[in-house]
Amino acid sequence: MTSRRGRTPGSRLFALYVLASLIPISVIGFVLVRGYNDSGVEFGRDQGRAQAAVIERMVVAPALRGADLSAGLSVAERDRLRSATDLAIFKGSVSHLRLRSFTGTIEFSDDGSVTGSVSVSDPAFLAAAAGGVDVRIIEGRQDAPANVRVIQPVIAAANGHATGVLEVYLPYDAIATKSEAGTRLAITRLAISLIGLFAFLALISWWTTRALRQNAATHEYDSLHDPLTGLPNRELFRRAAEDALARGRRGEQGALVLIDLDHFKEVNDTLGHHAGDKLLQVVGRRLSESLRTDDTVARLGGDEFAMVLPRGGSRQETVELLNRVRHELGEEVLLDGVSLNIEASFGVCFYPDGAETVEDLLQHADSAMYQGKHGPEGVVIYEPATPHQGTHALTTQRELRAALDRDELVLHYQPKVELDTGRVTCVEALVRWQHPRRGLLHPWQFLPQAEGSALIDPLTTWVLKRAFADHKAWTAAGHDWTVAVNLSVRNLASLPFADKVRQLLQEGGLRPDRLHLEVTETAYAFDSELAAQVVGALAALGVSMSIAGSTGLSQLRTISFSEVKIDRTFLADLPGNERDRAIVRSVIDLAHSLGCRVTAVGVESQDVADWLVTAGCDQAQGYLWLRPSPWTEVAAAFGAATAKTVVAAPSEAPTPTARTTEHAPAQTGHEDRRASR
Amino acid sequence: MNRPTSHHLRIAGYLFLVAATAIPAACASPTTPASSPAPKASFDQALHDRLPQPVKNRGVLRVGTEASYAPMESFAPDGRTIIGAEPDLGTEMGRVLGVHVQITDTEFTDLVPKVTDGDLDLALSAMTDTPERSKITDFVDYFSAGTTIVVQRGNPAGVTGISDLCGKVVAAQRGTTQEDLLARSQKNCGTKPIVVKKFPTNADTLVELRTARAVAVLNDLPAAVFLVNDPHTSSSYQLASTTQYEPGLYGIVVAKGQPRLRDAVQGALEELLRSGVYANVLSRWHVQAGAVTKITVNSNQ
Repeated sequence: MTSRRGRTPGSRLFALYVLASLIPISVIGFVLVRGYNDSGVEFGRDQGRAQAAVIERMVVAPALRGADLSAGLSVAERDRLRSATDLAIFKGSVSHLRLRSFTGTIEFSDDGSVTGSVSVSDPAFLAAAAGGVDVRIIEGRQDAPANVRVIQPVIAAANGHATGVLEVYLPYDAIATKSEAGTRLAITRLAISLIGLFAFLALISWWTTRALRQNAATHEYDSLHDPLTGLPNRELFRRAAEDALARGRRGEQGALVLIDLDHFKEVNDTLGHHAGDKLLQVVGRRLSESLRTDDTVARLGGDEFAMVLPRGGSRQETVELLNRVRHELGEEVLLDGVSLNIEASFGVCFYPDGAETVEDLLQHADSAMYQGKHGPEGVVIYEPATPHQGTHALTTQRELRAALDRDELVLHYQPKVELDTGRVTCVEALVRWQHPRRGLLHPWQFLPQAEGSALIDPLTTWVLKRAFADHKAWTAAGHDWTVAVNLSVRNLASLPFADKVRQLLQEGGLRPDRLHLEVTETAYAFDSELAAQVVGALAALGVSMSIAGSTGLSQLRTISFSEVKIDRTFLADLPGNERDRAIVRSVIDLAHSLGCRVTAVGVESQDVADWLVTAGCDQAQGYLWLRPSPWTEVAAAFGAATAKTVVAAPSEAPTPTARTTEHAPAQTGHEDRRASR
Repeated sequence: MNRPTSHHLRIAGYLFLVAATAIPAACASPTTPASSPAPKASFDQALHDRLPQPVKNRGVLRVGTEASYAPMESFAPDGRTIIGAEPDLGTEMGRVLGVHVQITDTEFTDLVPKVTDGDLDLALSAMTDTPERSKITDFVDYFSAGTTIVVQRGNPAGVTGISDLCGKVVAAQRGTTQEDLLARSQKNCGTKPIVVKKFPTNADTLVELRTARAVAVLNDLPAAVFLVNDPHTSSSYQLASTTQYEPGLYGIVVAKGQPRLRDAVQGALEELLRSGVYANVLSRWHVQAGAVTKITVNSNQ
């Protein structure tokens, strides 16, 4: 596409140059040829003039010996003239020769004729009578060859006195042949030179326009590609999408995909921009390598990539392709010695599907992608029928800022229940957004947008303040619960965060040991050293820390946590899965031997609760007891004392169970996604 | 040439001056006045009244000249017009006298007879006023010049003075003072006299010299200087030496029986001298070195 666009104007420019240079060259050629022809004729005249001068001085003047023609010629003078001119006239060196007085009388004529001479009133004769020389080429006729006619004064004596007029006709053909040969040679040389010049100019033009073409092509390429990854940029993507949509209108099926990397900001923040750039390059390479040739991969900016997949097969095939791409993208990357797994959300939108513009397509893919960011599937397909749950990140950020000002956020709490006593010791704060239009929003619907912006700081501050205020309220109401707050990875990437917490504790009048901060293991993924420093500083304040995670427990080596949370994924099939049971049991043992309490998250059934009791788990939370609610409801459900006692019993006493659970840390957005679907 | 003995005059300064001014004259048209406000001679009724009745009737003063003596008088390249310092002086004189001056080419030896016969009113042809001539006609003297020897460039005959001409061929114009000078010089040659070839025009004598049929030509200084400086002739001729022989005065020839005409001519020349036209004309032809300060009659002493 780019090459075709670049070549055509370049060739046109070249043709224009060539044509334009042809004009002056033609003009030069015309003028010079005219000049050569003119000077050829001039050469002939000069030859005639020179010959006549010689004849006049060497033949006529000596024969006349100063005689004045107006007085007539003596016999002796006439005889001398005859003998001087006879041979030249006979041999044709001179065609005709006449001597005339100033009054026009022919005093001497080569053939004795007294007619056929120029008239006395002829300008040529008048000029000669006045002392001038008139030279003219007389074109040949059938009966007479071409001649140079010279009419000039006769100056017969040394004193320079003109005494009459000489009229002489000299054969022109020999002169003409010579001058024409000279002219032809000159014109040939000129033609060769001009053709050479033209060829040279054409070569320069070609060279210049080619350089221009290449320059333009390079420039166009640069303006349409992302310098970091070499992928097409937003503009080129938009063209590709326009083309695809145009083909889509003619019935071709295809898909437009938006891809957003998860946690890219953290990579940039913790490993630096250099690592971020490298990560983007890896992503770009993997994306383009995993696609077909017709597909277009573009980097739209930041960590946002996009693809156009024209001539797609069935939707199923497209989804399979994208899943494969996502899988290949997720392979481990080593960045500055840190091993990372790239996760990305794919928003897919098929066309034509009623899309009018590329903007429509992008918006659809965008909303699908945001669903994907928070749903269990990495590849989300936009369904025109589904309610428009996803909204654009920027809108969300703007609204969230306003929500903080207008106090539209609320905190819900989920109790942690001591398994052996059934007592609530701690409640975990979970943020909710009472959106004026969209209703009550769960963290996954707005937290990623907050984490991707500077909003995360005011949001964390708001949550801490509100939690401290609520803690004060329930303490006043006689409830002895500590409060747990989830931290974002971005909180752990900022050293001054510990100071901020200390300051907020002071302002809220809360003892540090009443606060419990929870972090996920993924928070350590990007700069574990910095995260460890922040956690250490927080622990030093006297705040107790917990770590939640489904993978390794390496962080336990260096940092003293007071609590380990067991992810719900281990609990889902717990009673029936021997392996899960073994893992959970070991984690409990491990945590206990490190002096940590163990809290199981997402307990939904009495079976699981019972098993956890026997396994020695300390605490649990989940829908079995209570879904996240305002603290007053927690208070109502559990009262001042133990509302529900779970007794560890080998017999599995049936207990009412909630169907679903919510157990993920709030702020980091890992709440149970199924809850929203 | 009034004296029988040769009168030598060193003319180096004269030569230098003329040579320096003659070169540019060859390039530029000699009729271009050098300075801005050209002086003008005014018509003089009293002088006009002195002209002979036939002249007044005709309104034309017939003046003869032999036009082969550049820059004094010669044919223009057209072969018809006569130009030079003397034609210009004649024209200016006519302006003062209120008549048209018609200059015709006349053989040198015919000038005096034609004036005495009344075929010409005046002769104005670089003719030196000599005692012999002034016996026949009156001369109104207006210019000073002497004779020099012109030889081929390179001076192949090694001529340095008149005495070197003995035994050699010299071309002379018939009827000139140079002819007389050569005749007078014969007595110094002994047994090897100068072979003098005589021609009707000065141009003819120069042809002889150019074609080596003569080793020298005697010319008045202005003509000789012009000859050796003009680009057409300078490669053929040079001066044999810087010596000027028998300096004399050029005179306008007037018939003895025309004293009123003579006085009118003298008056007209005096007017030209007074008004600066005289000096202007001589400068125009680069012969101002021969200028006189006073117009005299028959002052051939």
